[in-house]
Amino acid sequence: MFRRIVSLFLAALMLTAGLSVLAEESMITVTDMYGREITLTEPATRIVAMQPSDCEILWALGCEDALVGVGQYCDYPASIADLPVVQSGQETNIEEILALNPQVVLMNDMSQSEEQVQQLEQNGVKVVISKATDLDGVYYAVRMIGQLMDRENSAEALIADMQKTFGEIREKSADEGKTVYFEVSPLQWGLWTAGKGTFMDELASVCGLTNAFADVDGWASVSEEQVIARDPDYIVTITMYYGEGPTPVEEIMSREGWQDMKAVKNAQVFNASDSNALSRPGPRLKDAAIELYGFIHGTAEEESPAA
Amino acid sequence: MLQGSHITVRYGDRTAVDDLSFHLREGQWMMLAGPNGAGKSTLIEAIAQGIPYTGTIEWQGRDIRTLKPAQLARCIGVLAQKNAVGYAYTVEEVVGLGRYAHKTGFLSGECEEGKAQVEKALEMTGLTALRHASMLTLSGGETQRVFLAQVFAQNPRVLILDEPANHLDLKYQQYVFTLIQSWLKEPGRAVLSVVHDLSLARRYGTHAVLMDRGKSVSQGLVADVLTPDLLSWVYEMDVCLWMRDMLSQWESR
Amino acid sequence: MKDDRSMKRERFTPVTYALLAAGLLLTMILCACVGSVRISFQDTVIAVWNALWGRSVPQGIAKNIILNVRLPRVLCVTLSGASLSLCGAAMQGLLRNPLADGSTMGVSSGAALGAVIAMVTGFTLPGSAYGGMMVMAMAFAFGSLVLILTLAYALDRSLATGSIILIGVIFTMFISSIISLIITFASDHTRSLNFWTLGSFSGVNYDQARLLLLALAVFGGVILRFSPELNAFAVGEDNARHIGVNVKRVKLIILIAVSALIGVCVSVSGTVSFVGLVMPHIARMLTGPNHKRLLPASLFSGAIFLLLADLTARTLLSPIELSIGVVTSLVGAAAFVVIFYRTGKAR
Repeated sequence: MFRRIVSLFLAALMLTAGLSVLAEESMITVTDMYGREITLTEPATRIVAMQPSDCEILWALGCEDALVGVGQYCDYPASIADLPVVQSGQETNIEEILALNPQVVLMNDMSQSEEQVQQLEQNGVKVVISKATDLDGVYYAVRMIGQLMDRENSAEALIADMQKTFGEIREKSADEGKTVYFEVSPLQWGLWTAGKGTFMDELASVCGLTNAFADVDGWASVSEEQVIARDPDYIVTITMYYGEGPTPVEEIMSREGWQDMKAVKNAQVFNASDSNALSRPGPRLKDAAIELYGFIHGTAEEESPAA
Repeated sequence: MLQGSHITVRYGDRTAVDDLSFHLREGQWMMLAGPNGAGKSTLIEAIAQGIPYTGTIEWQGRDIRTLKPAQLARCIGVLAQKNAVGYAYTVEEVVGLGRYAHKTGFLSGECEEGKAQVEKALEMTGLTALRHASMLTLSGGETQRVFLAQVFAQNPRVLILDEPANHLDLKYQQYVFTLIQSWLKEPGRAVLSVVHDLSLARRYGTHAVLMDRGKSVSQGLVADVLTPDLLSWVYEMDVCLWMRDMLSQWESR
Repeated sequence: MKDDRSMKRERFTPVTYALLAAGLLLTMILCACVGSVRISFQDTVIAVWNALWGRSVPQGIAKNIILNVRLPRVLCVTLSGASLSLCGAAMQGLLRNPLADGSTMGVSSGAALGAVIAMVTGFTLPGSAYGGMMVMAMAFAFGSLVLILTLAYALDRSLATGSIILIGVIFTMFISSIISLIITFASDHTRSLNFWTLGSFSGVNYDQARLLLLALAVFGGVILRFSPELNAFAVGEDNARHIGVNVKRVKLIILIAVSALIGVCVSVSGTVSFVGLVMPHIARMLTGPNHKRLLPASLFSGAIFLLLADLTARTLLSPIELSIGVVTSLVGAAAFVVIFYRTGKAR
């Protein structure tokens, strides 16, 4: 229900954003994902992005050189690894941001307080809120950042490319009522899965699958009994493999009591190569979708669309 | 029975007991007397192996450092000055702990003799009626009696008492001292006790050690040690005059 | 002469033991039958019964869930609850402090730190991947206990209720921040901070149950064997020495047994707070402070309490699982206040 309202709201925002851009040709005016109007006199050339996904969008638009500061978890592309880190957890270093002298700060509304936003804006730094929770939100964020950076064409091309990929996958995947269980944290450390409202859930539906834990909101620890009882057709784990002991897939296949599950019996257990691609609202969701499609339909590359 | 030689206890720079020797023989009731801070309680703690000391303390010629705690407890029973119980143990349970040193195996229940000892100790101290009472409900005097009963149940050869009449009203003071006196009558027993009340010391003691600032000023028979001259010197006041003054309160009506 | 202070205490007889054991068994059966996934009582019984006698169990979901998920978990919870409660009772007696417990004194946190360090550094014992973590947890539990007691003695030789708990709380906070620091830098190699601070029995197996059983049999046996000495300590440490208890030796043995047992529990399920604090206290109300009765009663009641707490954690928000520490802490914090209030009044 809540998500539906958000989607409607975002759709409305997109319309107004488009209109406002038409009205002001010389100035750049964008409506951020909080509904605030932000006006720039020229495209941004110095930008701070606190979320990994926004960094990835900037990279996909070819603007990663404009980044002057990043948040704690921003690790992609590798070229931004040496940038100053201005935020970690709840701590945002306002002084450091001001010292970097950016025109725009891209942030989520989760860990930053209103006071911090005001402080930045009083010092002439534009704050743009980016908070995508579904694919439409990602498109909006791409378009918004494209405007900020005067890369609207690239943005549209990126969106079209993503939409085309998802469309093709959707077309090729008939909904056969199969289910998938995403394992975010392995049994040994307490099972966690991705429920409704996560990108994994949305990618599953793009691939014609139903999330086995669609009744759970967000990321949650779930009981092992439930996983066995729900008996998913596919298991996708995002556990990293460090090259010692059994691989995450081997470990799942060998669990006591799991051996009769469909996914284990049919060896439909997969290890996602990059957990971040599956969970970040950025352009790499496309790669994640292709990988997921590959798992379901055999890993043959030529079969997967838009590879 | 119990012989201490050159016992010295130091707390940091302070010497609490200074090169003290004593010899407690069978049938004796030795009173440790002296003003506050003379080191009486410290000496008792040292004998009970509660604090480190130099010099030796021997039980029938054997250094008590070499005795196992349970062996020592069968020879020497200690009644501390202050005892408080944190949990709601019953009187009987606390008295029964006195039998600890006599238990042989960990699964063997308390033998008949042990039970009889506990029963006797309860009876001697007048606690039979209170046997199921919780320690938390007892008065200070009753608590002290429970621990006296415990040390009786322990049935040691030597009783070491730190202010046994502490917290006790006069009736029980008399009762307890008489009790200890009759306990002492059996052969092979001795008592060493700290007593503040010099009248009690003279009344019940056979021998005495007068201590001042950690040193033994004088020891021997009570009558030879707790003399007016020595006491006045150690207590820095005319002790006899004070005692007579106290007594005179009862003579003139 | 009759004294009205006589305590009308029900004798703790073999019948009481039988009742407690029956209560535990019933709770275990309840916990084996009820879970996040509904499985009929009949299927559950068939699965357990056949497995018990080595017969083949009908294939199906009941077998997998009951035998491989729920049963090992119920066993581990039972053994952990019993162990933690026993340790709490032993420490409360030894230190003569009704608020002493692995969690209030920081021993569990110390054990968790040991386990985290073992995981991050990859410290293992030959032949057992799990052993390294366990040994480190035990060693750190003991180290923490010694450290806390040394500090407490230095501050206040009587080990008064307040000071020792204060040191424990400060120590726990200190250790938690170190654990979170380690996890921040090496999150890929260890469980989440959540697991270490709140505990979880998710994914436990029969090997861990066997381990807990062994630890409880060895170290729990040692603790039970020292009931008379614990009584002496609970009455007073000086008094214990006077009646002939080898104070230093007994204390060392009990402290080692307690930290080893807590170490094993923490390495299996993380820090589960308050079990060892609350259950001995409730058991004491039932049996009085005599450890001969108190320790077995704590053993049973601790197991029952943790089973019910885990049942709540498993089923309350099904299919989501709560951390078991959330449940025990909710109950325990309230009980802590009550106990603190009552001991305050008793003085």
